[in-house]
Amino acid sequence: MRRVRFHARLLALYFAQYAKARLAYRADFAAAVLASFLGTAASFSVVLLLFSRFPHLAGWTYPEIVFLYGFSLLPYGLFSVVSSNLWDFADRYLVEGRFDRILLRPVSPLFQVLFESFRLESLQEVATGAVAIGWAVSRLPDVSPLGLALLPLWAVFGAVIYVSVFGLLTAASFWVEDRVGLAPPVFNLMSFGRYPITIYDLKVKLLLSTVIPFAFASFYPTALALGRGEFLPYFWAVPLVAVAFALLNVALWRRGIARYGSTGS
Amino acid sequence: MLATALSSARPYLAFARTSFLNILAYRARYFVGILTYFFNATVWYYIWRALFHEKGEGATLGGFTFPQMLTYVATGWALRSFYFNEVDRDIASQVREGRLAMTLIKPVDVQAMTLSQALGESAFRLVLFTVPIGLLLVLVYPVLPPVSPAALALYLLSGLLSALLVGAINFCVGLVAIRTTSILGVLRAKYLVLELLSGLLVPVAFFPEPVRKVLVWLPFLHMNDTPGRLWLGLATGADAARSLGLQAAWVVALLALGRLLWRATARRIEVQGG
Repeated sequence: MRRVRFHARLLALYFAQYAKARLAYRADFAAAVLASFLGTAASFSVVLLLFSRFPHLAGWTYPEIVFLYGFSLLPYGLFSVVSSNLWDFADRYLVEGRFDRILLRPVSPLFQVLFESFRLESLQEVATGAVAIGWAVSRLPDVSPLGLALLPLWAVFGAVIYVSVFGLLTAASFWVEDRVGLAPPVFNLMSFGRYPITIYDLKVKLLLSTVIPFAFASFYPTALALGRGEFLPYFWAVPLVAVAFALLNVALWRRGIARYGSTGS
Repeated sequence: MLATALSSARPYLAFARTSFLNILAYRARYFVGILTYFFNATVWYYIWRALFHEKGEGATLGGFTFPQMLTYVATGWALRSFYFNEVDRDIASQVREGRLAMTLIKPVDVQAMTLSQALGESAFRLVLFTVPIGLLLVLVYPVLPPVSPAALALYLLSGLLSALLVGAINFCVGLVAIRTTSILGVLRAKYLVLELLSGLLVPVAFFPEPVRKVLVWLPFLHMNDTPGRLWLGLATGADAARSLGLQAAWVVALLALGRLLWRATARRIEVQGG
Protein backbone atom coordinates (compact mmCIF):
# COMPACT_ATOMS: atom_id res chain seq x y z
CA MET A 1 0.00 0.00 0.00
CA ARG A 2 2.83 2.32 0.89
CA ARG A 3 4.46 1.50 -2.44
CA VAL A 4 1.25 2.33 -4.30
CA ARG A 5 0.97 5.67 -2.49
CA PHE A 6 4.61 6.43 -3.23
CA HIS A 7 4.19 5.67 -6.95
CA ALA A 8 0.95 7.65 -7.19
CA ARG A 9 2.65 10.70 -5.68
CA LEU A 10 5.59 10.23 -8.00
CA LEU A 11 3.29 9.99 -11.00
CA ALA A 12 1.65 13.27 -10.02
CA LEU A 13 5.07 14.91 -9.74
CA TYR A 14 6.30 13.49 -13.06
CA PHE A 15 3.14 14.67 -14.75
CA ALA A 16 3.19 18.16 -13.22
CA GLN A 17 6.85 18.57 -14.11
CA TYR A 18 6.32 17.48 -17.71
CA ALA A 19 3.19 19.62 -18.10
CA LYS A 20 5.04 22.69 -16.82
CA ALA A 21 7.83 22.18 -19.34
CA ARG A 22 5.36 21.61 -22.13
CA LEU A 23 3.15 24.56 -21.31
CA ALA A 24 6.12 26.90 -21.28
CA TYR A 25 5.59 27.13 -25.04
CA ARG A 26 1.91 27.83 -25.06
CA ALA A 27 1.33 28.61 -28.74
CA ASP A 28 3.20 25.51 -29.70
CA PHE A 29 1.22 23.36 -27.32
CA ALA A 30 -2.00 24.86 -28.70
CA ALA A 31 -0.86 23.96 -32.22
CA ALA A 32 -0.17 20.39 -31.09
CA VAL A 33 -3.62 20.09 -29.52
CA LEU A 34 -5.21 21.50 -32.65
CA ALA A 35 -3.34 19.06 -34.88
CA SER A 36 -4.27 16.18 -32.63
CA PHE A 37 -7.90 17.27 -32.66
CA LEU A 38 -7.95 17.56 -36.46
CA GLY A 39 -6.78 13.96 -36.67
CA THR A 40 -9.45 12.74 -34.28
CA ALA A 41 -12.09 14.82 -36.06
CA ALA A 42 -11.09 13.29 -39.40
CA SER A 43 -11.38 9.72 -38.10
CA PHE A 44 -14.64 10.53 -36.39
CA SER A 45 -16.11 12.09 -39.54
CA VAL A 46 -15.73 8.79 -41.33
CA VAL A 47 -18.06 7.25 -38.76
CA LEU A 48 -20.46 10.18 -38.95
CA LEU A 49 -20.43 10.14 -42.76
CA LEU A 50 -21.27 6.48 -43.02
CA PHE A 51 -23.64 5.89 -40.19
CA SER A 52 -25.71 9.05 -40.43
CA ARG A 53 -26.63 7.91 -43.94
CA PHE A 54 -27.14 4.28 -43.06
CA PRO A 55 -28.43 4.51 -39.53
CA HIS A 56 -28.38 0.81 -38.75
CA LEU A 57 -25.40 -1.46 -38.49
CA ALA A 58 -26.05 -5.08 -37.52
CA GLY A 59 -28.75 -4.07 -35.06
CA TRP A 60 -27.02 -0.95 -33.72
CA THR A 61 -28.54 2.50 -34.13
CA TYR A 62 -26.62 5.62 -35.12
CA PRO A 63 -26.45 7.11 -31.58
CA GLU A 64 -25.30 3.73 -30.27
CA ILE A 65 -22.50 3.63 -32.86
CA VAL A 66 -21.49 7.19 -31.90
CA PHE A 67 -21.53 6.09 -28.24
CA LEU A 68 -19.28 3.12 -29.01
CA TYR A 69 -16.87 5.18 -31.05
CA GLY A 70 -16.90 8.01 -28.53
CA PHE A 71 -16.15 5.61 -25.70
CA SER A 72 -13.30 4.01 -27.66
CA LEU A 73 -11.55 7.40 -27.60
CA LEU A 74 -11.36 7.42 -23.79
CA PRO A 75 -9.07 4.41 -23.21
CA TYR A 76 -7.28 5.19 -26.46
CA GLY A 77 -6.63 8.80 -25.44
CA LEU A 78 -5.36 7.77 -21.99
CA PHE A 79 -3.16 5.14 -23.60
CA SER A 80 -1.78 7.70 -26.06
CA VAL A 81 -0.89 10.07 -23.22
CA VAL A 82 1.43 7.54 -21.56
CA SER A 83 2.55 5.28 -24.40
CA SER A 84 4.91 7.59 -26.28
CA ASN A 85 8.04 6.07 -24.72
CA LEU A 86 7.01 2.51 -25.54
CA TRP A 87 7.30 3.18 -29.28
CA ASP A 88 10.97 3.97 -29.42
CA PHE A 89 11.94 2.13 -26.25
CA ALA A 90 14.41 -0.15 -28.04
CA ASP A 91 16.12 2.74 -29.82
CA ARG A 92 16.03 5.36 -27.11
CA TYR A 93 16.63 3.23 -24.04
CA LEU A 94 18.38 0.03 -25.06
CA VAL A 95 20.52 1.12 -28.00
CA GLU A 96 21.35 4.62 -26.80
CA GLY A 97 21.98 3.34 -23.29
CA ARG A 98 19.46 5.44 -21.40
CA PHE A 99 18.19 2.34 -19.65
CA ASP A 100 21.22 2.23 -17.34
CA ARG A 101 20.16 5.54 -15.84
CA ILE A 102 16.68 4.13 -15.23
CA LEU A 103 18.09 1.11 -13.41
CA LEU A 104 20.07 3.31 -11.02
CA ARG A 105 16.93 4.77 -9.47
CA PRO A 106 14.95 3.04 -6.71
CA VAL A 107 11.70 3.19 -8.70
CA SER A 108 10.15 0.54 -10.94
CA PRO A 109 11.87 0.77 -14.36
CA LEU A 110 8.62 0.16 -16.24
CA PHE A 111 7.01 3.00 -14.26
CA GLN A 112 9.84 5.34 -15.26
CA VAL A 113 9.75 4.37 -18.92
CA LEU A 114 5.99 4.90 -19.12
CA PHE A 115 5.89 8.18 -17.26
CA GLU A 116 9.08 9.95 -18.26
CA SER A 117 7.20 11.78 -20.96
CA PHE A 118 3.57 12.26 -21.85
CA ARG A 119 1.70 13.09 -25.00
CA LEU A 120 -0.41 15.74 -23.30
CA GLU A 121 -2.31 16.76 -26.41
CA SER A 122 -3.93 13.32 -26.56
CA LEU A 123 -6.10 14.38 -23.63
CA GLN A 124 -8.18 16.09 -26.29
CA GLU A 125 -9.21 12.61 -27.44
CA VAL A 126 -10.65 11.93 -24.00
CA ALA A 127 -12.55 15.22 -24.14
CA THR A 128 -13.81 14.60 -27.68
CA GLY A 129 -14.94 11.12 -26.70
CA ALA A 130 -16.79 12.49 -23.67
CA VAL A 131 -18.61 15.04 -25.82
CA ALA A 132 -19.60 12.32 -28.31
CA ILE A 133 -20.92 10.14 -25.48
CA GLY A 134 -22.87 13.12 -24.13
CA TRP A 135 -24.49 13.70 -27.52
CA ALA A 136 -25.33 10.02 -27.91
CA VAL A 137 -26.83 9.79 -24.41
CA SER A 138 -29.15 12.70 -25.19
CA ARG A 139 -30.49 10.66 -28.13
CA LEU A 140 -30.77 7.31 -26.43
CA PRO A 141 -33.94 6.66 -24.41
CA ASP A 142 -32.70 4.40 -21.67
CA VAL A 143 -29.02 4.42 -20.88
CA SER A 144 -28.21 2.68 -17.61
CA PRO A 145 -27.03 5.28 -15.04
CA LEU A 146 -24.81 2.71 -13.33
CA GLY A 147 -23.31 1.83 -16.71
CA LEU A 148 -22.56 5.50 -17.34
CA ALA A 149 -21.15 6.02 -13.86
CA LEU A 150 -18.74 3.13 -14.34
CA LEU A 151 -17.54 4.28 -17.79
CA PRO A 152 -14.60 6.41 -16.54
CA LEU A 153 -13.30 3.56 -14.40
CA TRP A 154 -13.76 1.09 -17.24
CA ALA A 155 -11.94 3.51 -19.56
CA VAL A 156 -8.97 3.34 -17.17
CA PHE A 157 -9.10 -0.48 -17.24
CA GLY A 158 -9.22 -0.26 -21.04
CA ALA A 159 -6.15 1.96 -21.07
CA VAL A 160 -4.41 -0.55 -18.77
CA ILE A 161 -5.18 -3.28 -21.30
CA TYR A 162 -3.73 -1.24 -24.17
CA VAL A 163 -0.64 -0.27 -22.19
CA SER A 164 -0.11 -3.88 -21.09
CA VAL A 165 -0.43 -5.35 -24.58
CA PHE A 166 2.03 -2.83 -26.02
CA GLY A 167 4.20 -3.17 -22.91
CA LEU A 168 4.42 -6.92 -23.60
CA LEU A 169 5.33 -6.29 -27.23
CA THR A 170 7.93 -3.72 -26.18
CA ALA A 171 9.44 -6.07 -23.59
CA ALA A 172 10.21 -8.43 -26.46
CA SER A 173 13.03 -6.05 -27.43
CA PHE A 174 15.00 -7.37 -24.40
CA TRP A 175 15.26 -10.66 -26.30
CA VAL A 176 14.90 -9.86 -29.98
CA GLU A 177 17.70 -7.98 -31.67
CA ASP A 178 15.70 -6.98 -34.73
CA ARG A 179 13.66 -4.14 -33.38
CA VAL A 180 10.87 -4.11 -35.93
CA GLY A 181 8.37 -5.63 -33.58
CA LEU A 182 4.76 -6.49 -33.99
CA ALA A 183 3.52 -3.20 -32.59
CA PRO A 184 2.32 -1.56 -35.85
CA PRO A 185 -0.09 -4.31 -36.98
CA VAL A 186 -1.34 -4.79 -33.43
CA PHE A 187 -1.84 -1.04 -33.20
CA ASN A 188 -4.07 -1.25 -36.26
CA LEU A 189 -6.11 -3.97 -34.59
CA MET A 190 -7.28 -1.31 -32.14
CA SER A 191 -9.58 0.09 -34.79
CA PHE A 192 -11.53 -3.18 -34.78
CA GLY A 193 -12.68 -2.42 -31.24
CA ARG A 194 -14.38 0.80 -32.29
CA TYR A 195 -17.29 -0.89 -34.01
CA PRO A 196 -19.89 -3.36 -32.72
CA ILE A 197 -18.19 -6.71 -32.32
CA THR A 198 -21.27 -8.37 -33.82
CA ILE A 199 -20.22 -7.36 -37.35
CA TYR A 200 -17.17 -9.67 -37.22
CA ASP A 201 -16.75 -13.37 -37.87
CA LEU A 202 -16.08 -15.76 -35.03
CA LYS A 203 -12.31 -15.81 -35.64
CA VAL A 204 -12.02 -12.03 -35.32
CA LYS A 205 -14.25 -12.03 -32.22
CA LEU A 206 -12.08 -14.71 -30.66
CA LEU A 207 -8.87 -12.84 -31.48
CA LEU A 208 -10.19 -9.61 -29.95
CA SER A 209 -11.45 -11.40 -26.84
CA THR A 210 -8.39 -13.56 -26.10
CA VAL A 211 -4.83 -13.07 -27.35
CA ILE A 212 -5.24 -9.38 -28.23
CA PRO A 213 -8.08 -8.48 -25.87
CA PHE A 214 -8.98 -5.12 -27.40
CA ALA A 215 -12.70 -5.86 -27.26
CA PHE A 216 -12.36 -5.66 -23.46
CA ALA A 217 -10.81 -2.21 -23.79
CA SER A 218 -13.33 -0.51 -26.03
CA PHE A 219 -16.40 -2.59 -26.83
CA TYR A 220 -17.48 -4.66 -23.82
CA PRO A 221 -17.21 -1.65 -21.44
CA THR A 222 -20.25 -0.13 -23.15
CA ALA A 223 -22.46 -3.20 -22.62
CA LEU A 224 -23.96 -2.12 -19.30
CA ALA A 225 -24.70 1.48 -20.34
CA LEU A 226 -26.28 0.40 -23.63
CA GLY A 227 -28.25 -2.45 -22.00
CA ARG A 228 -26.71 -5.25 -24.06
CA GLY A 229 -27.41 -8.14 -21.70
CA GLU A 230 -25.62 -10.73 -23.84
CA PHE A 231 -22.28 -9.00 -23.24
CA LEU A 232 -22.69 -8.35 -19.50
CA PRO A 233 -20.47 -11.26 -18.38
CA TYR A 234 -17.69 -9.77 -20.54
CA PHE A 235 -18.39 -6.33 -19.10
CA TRP A 236 -17.76 -7.58 -15.57
CA ALA A 237 -14.67 -9.45 -16.76
CA VAL A 238 -13.01 -6.22 -17.96
CA PRO A 239 -11.25 -5.43 -14.61
CA LEU A 240 -10.01 -9.03 -14.39
CA VAL A 241 -8.60 -8.95 -17.92
CA ALA A 242 -6.93 -5.61 -17.20
CA VAL A 243 -5.33 -6.86 -13.98
CA ALA A 244 -4.27 -10.16 -15.58
CA PHE A 245 -2.58 -8.46 -18.54
CA ALA A 246 -0.98 -5.84 -16.30
CA LEU A 247 0.54 -8.57 -14.09
CA LEU A 248 1.72 -10.46 -17.15
CA ASN A 249 3.31 -7.29 -18.46
CA VAL A 250 5.09 -6.54 -15.18
CA ALA A 251 6.32 -10.14 -14.99
CA LEU A 252 7.72 -10.06 -18.52
CA TRP A 253 9.47 -6.74 -17.86
CA ARG A 254 11.05 -8.25 -14.70
CA ARG A 255 12.41 -11.16 -16.69
CA GLY A 256 13.56 -8.89 -19.50
CA ILE A 257 15.39 -6.58 -17.12
CA ALA A 258 17.04 -9.57 -15.42
CA ARG A 259 18.37 -10.52 -18.83
CA TYR A 260 19.38 -7.00 -19.79
CA GLY A 261 23.05 -6.36 -20.35
CA SER A 262 24.13 -2.79 -20.81
CA THR A 263 25.68 -1.67 -24.08
CA GLY A 264 28.28 -0.09 -21.83
CA SER A 265 27.95 3.30 -23.44
CA MET B 1 18.96 17.38 -76.14
CA LEU B 2 18.05 13.90 -75.00
CA ALA B 3 21.64 13.21 -74.03
CA THR B 4 21.73 16.33 -71.82
CA ALA B 5 18.43 15.36 -70.20
CA LEU B 6 19.72 11.87 -69.50
CA SER B 7 23.01 13.02 -68.04
CA SER B 8 21.28 15.55 -65.79
CA ALA B 9 18.91 12.80 -64.60
CA ARG B 10 21.78 10.48 -63.66
CA PRO B 11 22.45 11.74 -60.11
CA TYR B 12 18.72 11.46 -59.32
CA LEU B 13 18.67 7.85 -60.50
CA ALA B 14 21.53 7.24 -58.09
CA PHE B 15 19.47 8.72 -55.25
CA ALA B 16 16.52 6.52 -56.18
CA ARG B 17 18.77 3.46 -56.27
CA THR B 18 20.40 4.21 -52.90
CA SER B 19 17.01 4.72 -51.35
CA PHE B 20 15.93 1.34 -52.75
CA LEU B 21 19.00 -0.37 -51.30
CA ASN B 22 18.65 1.32 -47.92
CA ILE B 23 15.19 -0.13 -47.45
CA LEU B 24 16.45 -3.53 -48.47
CA ALA B 25 18.33 -3.52 -45.17
CA TYR B 26 15.04 -3.31 -43.29
CA ARG B 27 13.20 -6.13 -45.05
CA ALA B 28 11.56 -7.48 -41.90
CA ARG B 29 9.74 -4.19 -41.49
CA TYR B 30 7.96 -4.89 -44.73
CA PHE B 31 6.73 -8.33 -43.79
CA VAL B 32 5.19 -6.81 -40.69
CA GLY B 33 3.83 -4.02 -42.86
CA ILE B 34 1.93 -6.50 -45.03
CA LEU B 35 0.00 -7.56 -41.92
CA THR B 36 -0.75 -3.94 -41.05
CA TYR B 37 -2.29 -3.28 -44.44
CA PHE B 38 -4.18 -6.54 -44.35
CA PHE B 39 -5.78 -5.62 -41.00
CA ASN B 40 -6.73 -2.17 -42.26
CA ALA B 41 -8.47 -3.55 -45.33
CA THR B 42 -10.09 -6.26 -43.21
CA VAL B 43 -11.82 -3.93 -40.78
CA TRP B 44 -13.37 -2.17 -43.78
CA TYR B 45 -14.41 -5.48 -45.29
CA TYR B 46 -16.49 -6.17 -42.18
CA ILE B 47 -17.96 -2.67 -41.95
CA TRP B 48 -19.06 -2.66 -45.58
CA ARG B 49 -20.34 -6.23 -45.30
CA ALA B 50 -22.54 -5.22 -42.36
CA LEU B 51 -23.77 -2.07 -44.14
CA PHE B 52 -24.60 -3.92 -47.35
CA HIS B 53 -26.23 -6.69 -45.34
CA GLU B 54 -28.67 -4.12 -43.89
CA LYS B 55 -29.66 -3.08 -47.40
CA GLY B 56 -30.24 -6.59 -48.63
CA GLU B 57 -28.77 -8.77 -51.37
CA GLY B 58 -27.57 -6.95 -54.52
CA ALA B 59 -28.09 -3.45 -53.09
CA THR B 60 -25.91 -0.49 -54.07
CA LEU B 61 -24.56 2.17 -51.71
CA GLY B 62 -23.37 5.45 -53.19
CA GLY B 63 -23.39 3.77 -56.61
CA PHE B 64 -21.23 0.83 -55.50
CA THR B 65 -22.22 -2.83 -55.27
CA PHE B 66 -20.64 -4.82 -52.42
CA PRO B 67 -18.02 -6.49 -54.67
CA GLN B 68 -17.19 -3.09 -56.18
CA MET B 69 -16.83 -1.52 -52.75
CA LEU B 70 -14.59 -4.33 -51.59
CA THR B 71 -12.48 -3.90 -54.72
CA TYR B 72 -12.29 -0.17 -54.05
CA VAL B 73 -11.03 -0.90 -50.52
CA ALA B 74 -8.48 -3.50 -51.68
CA THR B 75 -7.09 -1.48 -54.61
CA GLY B 76 -7.02 1.59 -52.36
CA TRP B 77 -4.94 0.02 -49.57
CA ALA B 78 -2.68 -1.71 -52.09
CA LEU B 79 -2.10 1.66 -53.75
CA ARG B 80 -1.41 3.33 -50.40
CA SER B 81 1.32 0.77 -49.77
CA PHE B 82 2.88 1.98 -53.03
CA TYR B 83 2.53 5.75 -52.77
CA PHE B 84 3.36 6.02 -49.07
CA ASN B 85 6.58 7.88 -48.31
CA GLU B 86 8.10 9.81 -45.44
CA VAL B 87 9.47 12.73 -47.41
CA ASP B 88 7.86 15.10 -44.89
CA ARG B 89 9.44 13.49 -41.83
CA ASP B 90 12.76 13.20 -43.59
CA ILE B 91 12.98 16.79 -44.78
CA ALA B 92 11.76 18.08 -41.40
CA SER B 93 14.33 16.09 -39.44
CA GLN B 94 17.11 17.18 -41.81
CA VAL B 95 16.30 20.80 -41.16
CA ARG B 96 15.87 20.23 -37.42
CA GLU B 97 19.04 18.31 -36.85
CA GLY B 98 21.17 20.50 -39.09
CA ARG B 99 21.93 17.63 -41.46
CA LEU B 100 20.50 19.76 -44.22
CA ALA B 101 23.90 21.40 -44.66
CA MET B 102 25.20 18.13 -46.07
CA THR B 103 22.33 18.07 -48.54
CA LEU B 104 22.82 21.69 -49.52
CA ILE B 105 26.44 21.23 -50.53
CA LYS B 106 25.45 18.60 -53.09
CA PRO B 107 25.14 20.11 -56.57
CA VAL B 108 21.60 18.87 -57.04
CA ASP B 109 18.07 20.17 -56.79
CA VAL B 110 16.79 19.32 -53.30
CA GLN B 111 13.19 18.78 -54.34
CA ALA B 112 14.15 16.56 -57.28
CA MET B 113 16.52 14.63 -55.03
CA THR B 114 13.84 14.12 -52.37
CA LEU B 115 11.30 13.00 -54.95
CA SER B 116 13.68 10.55 -56.60
CA GLN B 117 14.36 9.06 -53.19
CA ALA B 118 10.61 8.75 -52.65
CA LEU B 119 10.16 7.08 -56.04
CA GLY B 120 13.05 4.73 -55.32
CA GLU B 121 11.30 3.76 -52.13
CA SER B 122 8.03 3.29 -54.01
CA ALA B 123 9.75 1.00 -56.53
CA PHE B 124 10.90 -1.10 -53.61
CA ARG B 125 7.47 -1.08 -52.01
CA LEU B 126 5.87 -2.14 -55.28
CA VAL B 127 7.85 -5.36 -55.35
CA LEU B 128 8.00 -6.39 -51.71
CA PHE B 129 4.89 -4.74 -50.43
CA THR B 130 2.16 -3.74 -52.89
CA VAL B 131 2.23 -6.95 -54.95
CA PRO B 132 2.16 -9.32 -51.93
CA ILE B 133 -0.57 -7.27 -50.24
CA GLY B 134 -2.59 -7.23 -53.45
CA LEU B 135 -2.22 -10.98 -53.85
CA LEU B 136 -3.15 -11.61 -50.22
CA LEU B 137 -6.27 -9.45 -50.51
CA VAL B 138 -7.29 -11.12 -53.79
CA LEU B 139 -6.86 -14.55 -52.20
CA VAL B 140 -8.82 -13.78 -49.05
CA TYR B 141 -11.55 -11.45 -50.35
CA PRO B 142 -13.63 -11.57 -53.56
CA VAL B 143 -11.87 -8.65 -55.26
CA LEU B 144 -13.03 -7.84 -58.81
CA PRO B 145 -10.48 -7.72 -61.65
CA PRO B 146 -10.15 -4.39 -63.50
CA VAL B 147 -13.09 -3.98 -65.88
CA SER B 148 -10.83 -3.92 -68.95
CA PRO B 149 -7.14 -3.94 -69.90
CA ALA B 150 -7.52 -0.21 -70.54
CA ALA B 151 -8.89 0.30 -67.03
CA LEU B 152 -5.87 -1.52 -65.61
CA ALA B 153 -3.51 0.65 -67.65
CA LEU B 154 -5.27 3.82 -66.49
CA TYR B 155 -5.20 2.61 -62.87
CA LEU B 156 -1.45 2.01 -63.09
CA LEU B 157 -0.84 5.40 -64.68
CA SER B 158 -3.00 7.09 -62.09
CA GLY B 159 -1.23 5.15 -59.34
CA LEU B 160 2.12 6.43 -60.53
CA LEU B 161 0.75 9.98 -60.53
CA SER B 162 -0.53 9.36 -56.96
CA ALA B 163 3.01 8.54 -55.85
CA LEU B 164 4.26 11.80 -57.39
CA LEU B 165 1.34 13.69 -55.88
CA VAL B 166 1.99 12.31 -52.38
CA GLY B 167 5.69 13.08 -52.75
CA ALA B 168 4.87 16.67 -53.76
CA ILE B 169 2.34 17.08 -50.91
CA ASN B 170 4.71 15.62 -48.32
CA PHE B 171 7.56 17.88 -49.40
CA CYS B 172 5.30 20.88 -48.70
CA VAL B 173 4.01 19.40 -45.42
CA GLY B 174 7.54 18.76 -44.18
CA LEU B 175 8.55 22.36 -44.86
CA VAL B 176 5.47 23.66 -43.04
CA ALA B 177 5.85 21.23 -40.12
CA ILE B 178 9.35 22.46 -39.22
CA ARG B 179 7.80 25.69 -38.06
CA THR B 180 6.26 23.88 -35.07
CA THR B 181 8.10 21.89 -32.43
CA SER B 182 5.67 19.01 -32.55
CA ILE B 183 6.48 17.82 -36.05
CA LEU B 184 5.40 14.27 -35.33
CA GLY B 185 2.03 15.47 -34.05
CA VAL B 186 1.43 17.46 -37.22
CA LEU B 187 2.45 14.51 -39.40
CA ARG B 188 0.21 12.13 -37.47
CA ALA B 189 -2.74 14.47 -37.96
CA LYS B 190 -1.86 14.70 -41.65
CA TYR B 191 -2.18 10.92 -42.05
CA LEU B 192 -5.62 10.85 -40.49
CA VAL B 193 -6.90 13.87 -42.42
CA LEU B 194 -5.56 12.55 -45.73
CA GLU B 195 -7.04 9.09 -45.12
CA LEU B 196 -10.39 10.84 -45.03
CA LEU B 197 -9.90 13.40 -47.83
CA SER B 198 -8.16 11.02 -50.25
CA GLY B 199 -11.17 8.75 -50.39
CA LEU B 200 -9.10 5.87 -49.01
CA LEU B 201 -11.62 5.08 -46.28
CA VAL B 202 -14.84 6.25 -47.91
CA PRO B 203 -15.36 7.06 -51.61
CA VAL B 204 -16.18 10.69 -52.32
CA ALA B 205 -19.70 9.63 -53.36
CA PHE B 206 -20.54 9.23 -49.65
CA PHE B 207 -19.70 12.79 -48.66
CA PRO B 208 -22.52 15.34 -48.37
CA GLU B 209 -23.06 17.36 -51.54
CA PRO B 210 -21.51 20.68 -50.32
CA VAL B 211 -18.36 18.92 -49.07
CA ARG B 212 -18.07 16.97 -52.29
CA LYS B 213 -18.21 20.19 -54.30
CA VAL B 214 -15.21 21.50 -52.38
CA LEU B 215 -13.30 18.22 -52.42
CA VAL B 216 -13.31 17.87 -56.21
CA TRP B 217 -11.36 21.14 -56.37
CA LEU B 218 -8.68 19.87 -54.00
CA PRO B 219 -5.79 17.55 -54.89
CA PHE B 220 -6.41 14.89 -52.24
CA LEU B 221 -9.08 12.82 -53.98
CA HIS B 222 -6.59 12.02 -56.71
CA MET B 223 -4.62 9.95 -54.21
CA ASN B 224 -7.24 7.20 -54.01
CA ASP B 225 -10.66 8.05 -55.35
CA THR B 226 -9.47 8.67 -58.93
CA PRO B 227 -7.42 5.47 -59.35
CA GLY B 228 -10.15 3.45 -57.59
CA ARG B 229 -12.84 4.64 -59.98
CA LEU B 230 -10.59 3.94 -62.98
CA TRP B 231 -10.05 0.30 -61.93
CA LEU B 232 -13.79 -0.21 -61.46
CA GLY B 233 -14.67 1.46 -64.75
CA LEU B 234 -16.74 4.09 -62.88
CA ALA B 235 -14.76 6.73 -64.77
CA THR B 236 -14.23 6.01 -68.47
CA GLY B 237 -13.65 7.94 -71.69
CA ALA B 238 -13.76 11.71 -71.31
CA ASP B 239 -14.39 11.44 -67.56
CA ALA B 240 -11.27 9.32 -67.13
CA ALA B 241 -9.20 11.68 -69.27
CA ARG B 242 -10.41 14.68 -67.28
CA SER B 243 -9.63 13.00 -63.93
CA LEU B 244 -6.14 12.01 -65.04
CA GLY B 245 -5.54 15.49 -66.48
CA LEU B 246 -6.55 17.11 -63.19
CA GLN B 247 -4.39 14.67 -61.27
CA ALA B 248 -1.36 15.52 -63.42
CA ALA B 249 -2.10 19.25 -63.14
CA TRP B 250 -2.14 18.94 -59.36
CA VAL B 251 1.21 17.22 -59.39
CA VAL B 252 2.69 20.12 -61.34
CA ALA B 253 0.99 22.76 -59.17
CA LEU B 254 2.12 21.17 -55.89
CA LEU B 255 5.66 20.70 -57.14
CA ALA B 256 5.69 24.43 -57.92
CA LEU B 257 4.31 25.23 -54.47
CA GLY B 258 7.01 23.03 -52.95
CA ARG B 259 9.71 24.98 -54.78
CA LEU B 260 8.35 28.27 -53.45
CA LEU B 261 8.23 26.93 -49.90
CA TRP B 262 11.71 25.51 -50.30
CA ARG B 263 13.09 28.82 -51.45
CA ALA B 264 11.52 30.57 -48.45
CA THR B 265 12.90 27.94 -46.08
CA ALA B 266 16.39 27.80 -47.58
CA ARG B 267 16.73 31.54 -47.22
CA ARG B 268 15.92 31.35 -43.52
CA ILE B 269 18.41 28.57 -43.00
CA GLU B 270 21.25 30.52 -44.57
CA VAL B 271 20.46 33.50 -42.38
CA GLN B 272 20.82 31.26 -39.33
CA GLY B 273 24.18 30.18 -40.63
CA GLY B 274 23.11 26.49 -40.62
